[in-house]
Amino acid sequence: MDEKQLIEKAKQGDAAALTELVKRYEQTVYNFAFKICRDKERAEHTMQETFLSMVKSLHQFSGNSKLSTWLYTIVSNHCLMLARSKKNKNLTYLEDDDALVNNVHLHEWKVTPDKVTENNELREVLDKSIEKLPYDYRIIFILRDVEGFSTEETAKMTNLSVPAVKSRLHRARAFLRNELNETFGE
Amino acid sequence: MKPLANKKNNITCKEVMHHLCENLGEDLNSPKCAAIKNHLDNCENCQSYFKSIESTILFYKKYDVKLSEDGHKRLLDFLGLKE
Repeated sequence: MDEKQLIEKAKQGDAAALTELVKRYEQTVYNFAFKICRDKERAEHTMQETFLSMVKSLHQFSGNSKLSTWLYTIVSNHCLMLARSKKNKNLTYLEDDDALVNNVHLHEWKVTPDKVTENNELREVLDKSIEKLPYDYRIIFILRDVEGFSTEETAKMTNLSVPAVKSRLHRARAFLRNELNETFGE
Repeated sequence: MKPLANKKNNITCKEVMHHLCENLGEDLNSPKCAAIKNHLDNCENCQSYFKSIESTILFYKKYDVKLSEDGHKRLLDFLGLKE
């Protein structure tokens, strides 16, 4: 059964159709939530809340966008709300463009991305680096670069202008690159 | 340390880096981008920076987590759904 049919059935209260929709997207939602929260427990909580929002407001879903895009938007909003309620002291404020783009330490990196799946130490470095990035920058980086949405789609999902998305993306990339460079560029 | 400015097209490494960060993965066919590409071809500093930005993105792209079977069951329970 295609997605449109499933959504229509789910809107009419068909529990099997709703279950099927949840099963189709649970991995995507969980993975995306983890990439923003960097914590499995919080990612699971976010995933549960996201699907609860989906169940509650599926009747409002017009079908003009993909269901997955709608779910990404809910996760992003949920993570932002969570972040605002728990002010994280470790977050860095990205104000100074010139400081972010520094070309002093340019060395070839010794590690390559293909090692990510088997190297826990490497994953820890990646977690610690992105945890310093403010959530509103983190979400843009993950949506645009990691999940592959266009700048326009990212802007729509986060309710920002295209120039604002570009500016945050630019700073997020430069910030993360600098953080990783401290470990990988030594 | 490499020179900060490529006098040929008058673009500084810093400018290239800003622009690369902003446009990586987007349309790079504007005249400014052509000059940037030219600069990039001739500047090891910027090549290295470009590569490290690309790697940064790839590192986070390849870092996936899998939802456990228990996590899946807890989700269905939470929503009051059954297999």
